[in-house]
Amino acid sequence: MQQLIFGLANGSIYALMALAIGMVSSTTGIVNFAHASVVMMGAMVSWWMMVIYGLSYLPALIIAIVVSIVLNIVMYEACVKKLGNLQHNVGWIITLFGASIILDNTARMVFGTEPQAFPYLFEGKMVTIGDANILLHELMMITIAIVIGIVYQTVIKKTRFGRAVRAVAFRPSTAELMGIKSEYIILLCFAMAGAVAAVGGVLIAPITFASYTMTLSIGLKGFAAAVLGGFGNAKGAFIGGLSLGIIESFISIFIPAGIKDSISFVIMIVVIIFLPGGILSAKIFNKNGFASEKV
Amino acid sequence: MPRFLTKTGSLQKKYSAWFNLLIVVLLLFCLVFPFIAGNYYMRFAIIIFIYMILSIGYDISAGYCGLLTLSAAAIFGAGAYASAITITTLKLPFFAGMLAAMVVTGLISLTISLPAYKVKGHYLALISLGILEIVHRILNDWISLTQGAAGFFLPPWSIFGITLTNFSKYYVIFFFLILAVLFAWGLVKSHWGRDFLAVKNDEIAAAGVGINNRKFKVIALLVSSMMIGVAGSLYASYSEYISPDTFGFYLTILVLLMVIIGGSGTLSGPAFGVVVVMIVPEFFNASPDLKQIVFGALLIILTQILPGGIAGRIKKRFRAIDDNTDIENVGDRPPISFEKFKVNADGPENILEVSNLTRRFGGLTAVGNLDITVKKGTVHSLIGPNGAGKTTTVNMITGIDKPTEGSVTFNGENITGMEPFLSVKRGIARTYQHVRLFKDMRVIDNVAMGGRIYYTYSMAGAIFHSPKKRKEEKEAYLEAYDCLKLIGLEDKANFDPESLSAGQQKLLEIARALCEKPKLMVLDEPCAGLNETEVAELSEIIKAIKNVGITVLMIEHHMSIVMGISDYITVIDYGRKIAEGTPAEVSVDPAVRKAYLGEEVPTC
Repeated sequence: MQQLIFGLANGSIYALMALAIGMVSSTTGIVNFAHASVVMMGAMVSWWMMVIYGLSYLPALIIAIVVSIVLNIVMYEACVKKLGNLQHNVGWIITLFGASIILDNTARMVFGTEPQAFPYLFEGKMVTIGDANILLHELMMITIAIVIGIVYQTVIKKTRFGRAVRAVAFRPSTAELMGIKSEYIILLCFAMAGAVAAVGGVLIAPITFASYTMTLSIGLKGFAAAVLGGFGNAKGAFIGGLSLGIIESFISIFIPAGIKDSISFVIMIVVIIFLPGGILSAKIFNKNGFASEKV
Repeated sequence: MPRFLTKTGSLQKKYSAWFNLLIVVLLLFCLVFPFIAGNYYMRFAIIIFIYMILSIGYDISAGYCGLLTLSAAAIFGAGAYASAITITTLKLPFFAGMLAAMVVTGLISLTISLPAYKVKGHYLALISLGILEIVHRILNDWISLTQGAAGFFLPPWSIFGITLTNFSKYYVIFFFLILAVLFAWGLVKSHWGRDFLAVKNDEIAAAGVGINNRKFKVIALLVSSMMIGVAGSLYASYSEYISPDTFGFYLTILVLLMVIIGGSGTLSGPAFGVVVVMIVPEFFNASPDLKQIVFGALLIILTQILPGGIAGRIKKRFRAIDDNTDIENVGDRPPISFEKFKVNADGPENILEVSNLTRRFGGLTAVGNLDITVKKGTVHSLIGPNGAGKTTTVNMITGIDKPTEGSVTFNGENITGMEPFLSVKRGIARTYQHVRLFKDMRVIDNVAMGGRIYYTYSMAGAIFHSPKKRKEEKEAYLEAYDCLKLIGLEDKANFDPESLSAGQQKLLEIARALCEKPKLMVLDEPCAGLNETEVAELSEIIKAIKNVGITVLMIEHHMSIVMGISDYITVIDYGRKIAEGTPAEVSVDPAVRKAYLGEEVPTC
């Protein structure tokens, strides 16, 4: 039970990251490789606000969200916007990694190299369910993640903005002819992804400690979750994230901790090889990658 | 291969003496360097050499083949550890260690390239990032094998039982660098290098000239990983101590930066890049954090403002100011005519038989139960309104798309669903509705790519510049030049294809198809975007192609050319054949008139 909740809690953060990666990927077709760094920045900024400036949880979180949104928007403007056709020009992979390096090293310079203890929500109160002691914080992680997921799904499916996002995702130039400002929508998606990143970072920081190494230790798993569920798919992001969290938490009973972390990458590679569209694509497996391309 | 065609152009030829002088001076400088430099600088130079091998190897897959992987550091590390373990634990000599490094890195590259045929762009980056992390964890945690984070100590470096001094280490590594450069040079200046570029530029067009994309991606990654493995084993033996931390994400980014700064997809670029990345930070004593931030910023800025890197920019400059006079000097070539591409008249009368061909996209039947018979030596046109399924049909014939049902028989052989690169070898060449040229190659290279299926020299032949390679390359380029002459573009041979007009690009595609010496040429809207003069010119070319026995299957909207040169016309609408026959028959067919002009006008 404890393992399950722990896995679900971690998994819900992976799901949040996958969701944010999906937001960007659905409108632009790119994978934001700097996303992990933004998650880390969100955690570090809120830690700074709380510990150095003595703010309480909520204001710190809001500042972290604002910073992450700004970071993501700047990133779009500086790294992605000028590259033109993102399908043909894969320069964004390089520029986004460049952005990631800048963020990581800035964090290292500003916040130091020591991993910092991050306060739990509800001061680390435990509840006992059956024979398991569970942190309220972990339950909160799951709840918040699911709420965000549901809100996002509703926005995408039900609102005018959501329809615009879907239109841009399908074909930006046509969407523009229909009076949608594609670039504005893409920018908004980047901003939303930034906000979600900050929330995820703040929620996971108490478990992993806040440090610039979060990028590699946590962030990469967001990509694994996104691959597992399929890019640009809210349902898939949650399925991918939660299953990854559960697999990890149960597998750590059997194998040493060092290797545990590579399990998610092994899973990711296997999924890319056999199911490039993610788990959800298994049934409607498109046999013909070539055909969909315009000749 | 004739030098005048493979050099960048007349300017480079003019300055080739200077280039050679530069190379000699550099070589001499490297040879005497240990005598004039102190120990510190010699060690620095050795590290630069090792990184040069590493980045030249990385550039083969990332720069030439366009496979942007992020596992360079992991492969370098795996090579270093494999050779270290072989030398230390198994007590084998240095060269056995190097061999082990190549085997291990080769195996790792296979795990990356295994899904390469399905995967591109970001998936490849993700896989390789995963590999990077996995290798890093293995190096850290498999303590019985790698001694973990504490690092791994090697005995002093010895070759054939002779322990090397600092001095001889320098020359040994320099020797390996020269070997690596010669290897890469032989490889990229052969059809292999051009094939890698073609795969990077346009996979569909690459398949269309007979390249097996999967195979070439696997080969590019394999070759490049093995080279990185060699660099790794040199590094291990040289430094006598390796630790997992050296081979992290930072090193991967460093290698990526070296290639980007110098110029990806060029031979000298990575070497330039290494020098810039390694030496420039030495001048200002920056903190490591600041250095990395600068590197990150460089990655962002250079990708956007200097996509070709330093070497790419120089190359481009040379091509831009080239007056292109040099290629006039071809020597004594017999006057060229289309007769050269004459097709033997054997094989069945119906060269192409399509029966019951069906393709469904979801619920939409793009092509349904289509039967077409193309007679040998004719011009057969496929016409129909937009969205009628014409391009889908030829895609299925050439193998780009797989039919849901039905069969395609070419020259008596069932080629249904055959991969495009195989159907090319059977004698089907095609052009594309939207021009697909290899933009990183010159016009002449583009045409020569058409003849690549006739190369027979091996990779070893390419690396050692065997006589066979020279002969075949020379033949291929002269042939390509002939093809260019036939379509009247010979004075553009050294240009970038993007500098040609739309009509000239279409003609260039036909020249490339002609260079494949096909039996059947499939032209997908050859006249789209051409003006009247060019259309007239093109119709002469198509007639000439037909006159030497090449069958032409053509999709076209331009009615004057369709009616003027076709022997047979098949009209399709909504994926179904509505009429077939000679131009005269088809033009009076009521169903055709209805499809093209709307409701039938009642005759009165």
